[in-house]
Amino acid sequence: MKRLSLALVMGLLASTAAQADVTVYSAGPGALIKNLAAGFTEKTGIKANVFQATTGKVMARLEAESSNPVADVVVSASWGTATDFSAKGLLLPYESPNAETVPDFLKMEGAVAQGVAGLIIAWNTQSGTPKPADWSDLAKPEYKDLVTLPDPAASGGTYTLVEAFLANDMSDVLQGLKDNGAIVAGANKAALNPVLQGAKAAVFAGVDYITMSAAAKGETVEAIFPTSGTVVAPRPIMILKSSQNQDDAKQFVDYVLSEEGQKAVAKVNLMPSRTDIKVDRPLIGDLKLLSNEGAPARDDVLADFKKIFN
Amino acid sequence: MAGGSVTTGAEGSVLLKWIATLGLLIVVAIPCLFIVVQAIFPEFGSGSFAAPFSLFFKTLSDPALFGMAGNTLLLGVGTVICAAVFAVPLAALRALYRVPGALIWDGLLLIPFMIPPYIAALGWIMTLQPRGYLEQVTGFNMASLLFSVSGIMLIMGLNTFSVVYFVLSRTFETIGARYSDVGRVFGAGQWRSFWRITFPLAMPGLAASLLLVFAMSIEEYGTPAALGRRIGFEVLVTGIENRISEWPIDLPGSATLSLVLVGMALVAFMVQRWLLNRRDYRIVGGKPQASDKRSLGVWAVPATLLFAFVALLATGLPILAILATALSRTISGGLKPSNMGLDNFRELLGAGSDGLIALGNSLMLGTTTALLAGLLGAITAYSVVKGRGRFRIVLDALSITPNSLPGVVVGVGIILAWNQPWLPITPYNTPFILLLAYVCILLPQPVRYATASLHQLGDNLESAARVSGAGPLRAFTRIVFPLILPSMVTAMILVFAVASRELVASLLVAPVGFQTIAVYIWQQFDQGSAGLGMAMAFCAVLITTLIPLALISLLRWLTRGSVAGLS
Repeated sequence: MKRLSLALVMGLLASTAAQADVTVYSAGPGALIKNLAAGFTEKTGIKANVFQATTGKVMARLEAESSNPVADVVVSASWGTATDFSAKGLLLPYESPNAETVPDFLKMEGAVAQGVAGLIIAWNTQSGTPKPADWSDLAKPEYKDLVTLPDPAASGGTYTLVEAFLANDMSDVLQGLKDNGAIVAGANKAALNPVLQGAKAAVFAGVDYITMSAAAKGETVEAIFPTSGTVVAPRPIMILKSSQNQDDAKQFVDYVLSEEGQKAVAKVNLMPSRTDIKVDRPLIGDLKLLSNEGAPARDDVLADFKKIFN
Repeated sequence: MAGGSVTTGAEGSVLLKWIATLGLLIVVAIPCLFIVVQAIFPEFGSGSFAAPFSLFFKTLSDPALFGMAGNTLLLGVGTVICAAVFAVPLAALRALYRVPGALIWDGLLLIPFMIPPYIAALGWIMTLQPRGYLEQVTGFNMASLLFSVSGIMLIMGLNTFSVVYFVLSRTFETIGARYSDVGRVFGAGQWRSFWRITFPLAMPGLAASLLLVFAMSIEEYGTPAALGRRIGFEVLVTGIENRISEWPIDLPGSATLSLVLVGMALVAFMVQRWLLNRRDYRIVGGKPQASDKRSLGVWAVPATLLFAFVALLATGLPILAILATALSRTISGGLKPSNMGLDNFRELLGAGSDGLIALGNSLMLGTTTALLAGLLGAITAYSVVKGRGRFRIVLDALSITPNSLPGVVVGVGIILAWNQPWLPITPYNTPFILLLAYVCILLPQPVRYATASLHQLGDNLESAARVSGAGPLRAFTRIVFPLILPSMVTAMILVFAVASRELVASLLVAPVGFQTIAVYIWQQFDQGSAGLGMAMAFCAVLITTLIPLALISLLRWLTRGSVAGLS
C-alpha cells in the first residue's frame, strides 16, 4: 500500500505546473481571465499562470502569503481593494501606454480598471410581473415577496449601490423593499438563482454582465438600467511591488488594456474601461451615475443596511 | 465482559508510536500552531509579531459571538438527532435481520455521502423553492420548511446519517445475536434484550459516529450558508468563512473564532471518551461466531418501505434535482421536454476538456489521500488505544482537532506554515499542498473508525501472537490490521469521497492553474453555467460511488472470506 501511494505521489509531482512567468490572481469571470492569459501567451510568448477565485478568496490568499508573495498581477472585482493596497504601499506605480483613453476616475497610482460592471435590476421576463423601470418600483405591491438582493457584505457592487443610496438620502427605497418582503440572499449568484427559476421576480442590485450573459444563454432574464441612476463597479488590475517579474507583469497589463484585451473584456459583457472601444451595450458614458460623495464609512454603511434588513 | 476500567494489554509498537507522532505533527500540529499564532499576532501574515492579542479579545468580546456559538450548538445537536433518527432503526434492521435487497439499500444509502453538501443544498433549493422542480411536477412547494432552522437540520441530517448507518450496522453485526440470545434465554423479550444488551454494546460505534456527525455539522459550511443566510441564521463557521471570504479580510478574527469552534469539538470529544472509558466493550475475542440473521416475517414489507422512503429522501430527490439541472439547457426554461438535452454532458466530457482534467486530478488526489489518511489513522488509533502513557491523549485529541476546523481555516494555516520564505523546499504551489490539506481535514474519520473497532478488540488475540513469537510490529500487521480492515475500508471510502470533492480548502490553496472537481463546479456556478456544474457534480457522484463499490467487490473476491466482515 505504501509503495502504491508513493507511486501516486510521484505521479502528482510530475503533473505539477511548470514555474510560471507571470502569475495572475484574478476574480471571475473565469472565461475572461482564461482568454486573456491565452491571448497574452500567444502574443508575447510569455506564459501566464492563473489562480481564479472570488475577490474575497484572492484577497485571503494574498494576505496569508504576504510574508512570501507568489502573485505578480492581481485582478479584483472591487475598487476598494486597490485603494487599500495602495495605502499599504503594496502596489507598483505603472501607467500603461494603453491606458491613455481610460477616464481618470478609472485609474489611480498603481491600479487601472480592467473593465467595469454596472448595477441593474435583473428581471425575469416570464415572472408575470410588470417590467420595472426604477429601483423604487420593486417596493410596489406587484413585487411583494418577489425581490432578492445580494448582501452588501458579500457583494462589492451592492455595497457601492447601498453607499450611494445613503449618500443621496434614498434609504427609504431600501426600507420600502424590506417592508415589501425582499430577502437578502448571499452573494450575486445566490441572489440571481431564485430569479432564474422563477421563485422570485427580480434582483435589486443585480450585476449587468452576469445578467446579460445569462440572457445570452437563453435564460428569460433582462438587465434593466434604472431611470434614477445607478453605480458602476470598476475592476482594478494591479501589479504587486513584491513581483519578481515586473517587466513581464507590465506587459500583461499592457495586453489587457490593448484593443484585443479590451475586446475580450467586452466579450463577457463587461464594459471596457477604454472609451475608444465600441461595443453593443450601454457604456459608462451612456449611464446616469449616482454620486457616492458624502457616504458614511464602510462599517456604518453595513450597520445602516443591517438596521433596515434585520 | 465485566465492567470496570479498560486494561491495556499488549503494548503498542514503539516504531508505530513514532510514526503516528511525526505524522500528526506535520499534518495537523503545524498548521494548527500557525492558526493559533495568527489569532494572537494579527500582523503575522507579513512576518511581524507586533501588537499581540490586539484583535483576539476584541473578536471574543463581540456580542454576536454568543448568538453564533449558540446557533452552532443548536445546529450540531439538531443534526445529530435527525441523523440518529434516520440511521439507528435502519442500521438495526440491516444488521440483525434479512432485509430484502440489503446490498442495494447499502449502495443507495452510500450516495448521500458522495453528494457534496453545497450541491445537495442547491438541489434542495431548486426542488423545494416556489416554482421549483417539486412545484413544476406536483403544484406545491415547501419553501417555508426549507428556509427554516429545522429545515437546515433535516437536510444536514439527511446528508450525514449514512455515516451513522454504516458504522452502526457494522457494529450491530459484530455484536450479532449471540449476546442478546443469552438475554432471551433468561427471559427477556426481543425489545428488552435489544435495548438492554445489543444497543448498549453498540455504544462505541454509536458514540463515535454521532461525534463525527456533530463535528461534521458544526464544521459544515455549504448548507448553513445556502439556507441560513436568507433567514439570518449565522453559525460560527459561516462567521469564520465570511471573515476570510469577504473583503476586507480578517484572518486574525477568523483564526480566533476557529479556536472557539475547536474548543466545542474538544468538549464533545471528551464526552465521547468519558462514555467509552466507563465500560468494557470488547466483544471480538477470537471465538468463532455464527452470524445468521433473523427473518423479518410479516415485517418485511414495512421495513422495505422504510428503507425506500429514506433512500428516496436522502438520495433520490437530490440526485434527481442535480440531474434535472444538468439536463436543462436553461434554468428559466424549467422541466419542459424542449428545454432538456445532453448539451452540458457533451461539453463536460468533450475530448481534452477542463472537466476531464479536473476529474483526473481529483480522483488521483482522492485515492492518495484515502491511502495515506487510512494508514496514518490506523497507526494513530492503535497507538492511542493499545499504547500506554498520558501522551496518547494528546495524540487522540490532536487527531480529532481538524474535524472541527473549517476547511478554509486549515487552508490559511497551511499557507502560513508552508509558504515561509526561509523554507528551502516546500510543497506549496504543488498538488502536494492539497494532499496535506486533505489528509489534515479527513484524518479524524479513519482515526474514529479504527478507534471504535480497536475498542471492541480483545487483547488476547494480539497477546497470543506475541506469545507465539511475533514482534509488536508483526502482531499489528498480521493480527490487528486485518481485524480492523473492514472498518478501515469503510473509513477510507468516506475519505476518498470527501477528498475528491472538497471545496473550501481547495479553492484557497489549489496550486496556480490546478483544477479539481469542486473547483471546476464552483467556477461553472460562478460563471452562471449551473447546468454544466451540475453535470460535473452528477459524474463525480457516479464515479465516487462506483469506484468504492467496485473496490469492495474486488476485495471480497480476493480475500474470499478470509477477512471477516467485508460484506
